[in-house]
Amino acid sequence: MRGSRVVMIDTLLLLAMNGLIWGLIIALIALGLSVIFGLLDVINIAHGDFFMVGTVLAWASLEATGNFWIGFIIVPLICLVLGALIQVAVIQPIRGVAALSIVATFGLSLILQEGVRMTFGATPRRMLPPISGTVPLFGIEYELYRLLAATLSLVALATFFWFLRNTKIGTWMRAVRHDRDTATAMGIPAKRVYIFTFAIGFALAGFGGVVAAPITTVDFRGGVDLLPVCFIAVIIGGLGNLPGTAAAAILLSLLEGIIQTVANPTVARITSLVLMSAVLLVRPQGLFKGHVK
Amino acid sequence: MTNRIVIERFVLVAFAAFMLAVPWVVPALVNTFWVSVISEILIWSLFAASVNLLFGYVGLLSFGQALFFGFGMYGVGIGIDQLGLSFWPAFGLGISAAMMMALVSGIFAVRLTWHYFAIITVVFSLIFYFIAVTMKPLTGGDDGINFRLPSTFSFGGSQWSFTDATFQYFFILATVSVCFYLMHLVVCSALGKAFLAIRDNDVRASLIGLNVYLLRLTAFVMAGFLAGVAGALFAFFGRYASAVYMFYHVSGEAVVWAIVGGAGTLFGPFIGTSLLIVIRELVSTRWEHHSLIVGMMAILVVILAPKGLVGLWRDGLDRLMSRDAGATTEFGTDPNLRVDP
Repeated sequence: MRGSRVVMIDTLLLLAMNGLIWGLIIALIALGLSVIFGLLDVINIAHGDFFMVGTVLAWASLEATGNFWIGFIIVPLICLVLGALIQVAVIQPIRGVAALSIVATFGLSLILQEGVRMTFGATPRRMLPPISGTVPLFGIEYELYRLLAATLSLVALATFFWFLRNTKIGTWMRAVRHDRDTATAMGIPAKRVYIFTFAIGFALAGFGGVVAAPITTVDFRGGVDLLPVCFIAVIIGGLGNLPGTAAAAILLSLLEGIIQTVANPTVARITSLVLMSAVLLVRPQGLFKGHVK
Repeated sequence: MTNRIVIERFVLVAFAAFMLAVPWVVPALVNTFWVSVISEILIWSLFAASVNLLFGYVGLLSFGQALFFGFGMYGVGIGIDQLGLSFWPAFGLGISAAMMMALVSGIFAVRLTWHYFAIITVVFSLIFYFIAVTMKPLTGGDDGINFRLPSTFSFGGSQWSFTDATFQYFFILATVSVCFYLMHLVVCSALGKAFLAIRDNDVRASLIGLNVYLLRLTAFVMAGFLAGVAGALFAFFGRYASAVYMFYHVSGEAVVWAIVGGAGTLFGPFIGTSLLIVIRELVSTRWEHHSLIVGMMAILVVILAPKGLVGLWRDGLDRLMSRDAGATTEFGTDPNLRVDP
């Protein structure tokens, strides 16, 4: 009896840890979704595929250089460039009409998935983490790479918030989001801020992809399941509330991890979706904000 | 303007004549495979019409219409496979299951608008998608359930059923036409005008005494009806029901079809659906990666024709007419679309 109890607590801890770390990665991706939505009024259906492109690029950079670590630098940079190009070619011409943005990004999502299927192939692949081994943690042996993934995600999150608060471009981004017309009148190049915002949204998702690549599988459909989760985090956290989004992503994944100890993953997913509907109906402004915008 | 309506009437009559002749003309021109493609287009355009009713006429962007499509499909599938129903009761079960679901989820969903509405409809459809995947004994999960189709009409010794391809085509054509006609009646009625008032400004609509909540709920249930009929037809057409049709990607495709064709117009969804499915069928036999073309088409249409293909056609025709008449006035053209001669 006592033995099974210990096993139970061990799995609980393990799944909770997995949930927490996955939540940190989701937080990165959802933040990108949230800044794109908040600034450009674009509902980005392709955002899950941005993450997927990140995992595939991580795989490609490992194949090309034989060194996993290079991916952490090179992939976000490639994503930054890709994001800027996509913004200019696809997002700018539709001028922030949200309904059109759904169609355009849906098309983008098809192109990205099919493009990856064409080049990378349809078979999902697994990547080995660059560091193996486990460390003892609260009585369980925990994979070292997952801890590194958590650290890297935290660093990226912190850097992003620091960037938003303390740099000129970050301030511009906040200003344009707050009041576009006034910001333009003050001489802020709103158009360039839009390009940069979209690019950084892509880069965040791409970085999340590199971090997650050894944990999940590299597959051209890898973003499809992720997209609703990111939207849920953005909404529960409150539209435009970036720290709220990050917190919601972590909470949701942690919760799903914990529910998985007593039920299968699908039931866990259903529970978090039901919870999310309740939040939407009772507090559409999100869990963490006091007032309705 | 009136000239345009005359031209559109003419196109409509020619189109109706073509649709009636499809089972004979299409096999003669290409092959019988395309008859079933056209049947499929009819079904999916009804599904896109349900998105259009909500988005184009009431201003609610639903990303969860696949839920009602799936309920229509499973109503038929489970009705025949598990309950042993015949054709019409199963059809009725599918449609009423979809409408009931629309009523129940609508009671909650239409309290929200815009982004929140879009999100909650996705969430509802995801919840039931996952439930359908889990309840494998009843729903067959992703694999779905196959069933034997009962006959549609039987008088004495003679029977008509979907095994006869021509009967199947005409049954689908008739059902879809009736639904489009019903939608036309609703759109032209006082109810339709109330919908438009809400779409354009819900605050003003409520100030002139319209019950915005109840009207939105009505539209939501009507859209559930359209999606349910489409799902039920698709179950008869494919002889199976599967949870994959409840996934949010299916809803997303309907949104794309409706907007590419022209949201807020009766035939826009049909045109968008036809274009994208025909491209898919044409390209997919020759090139595996046809999704690339569909994706590019979707992007090009929203960039070049933000009001959809019907909007493009109307603006083009109006411009042509006004130039013929020597008039300088434009009829409701988007300044961004106007090309000065």
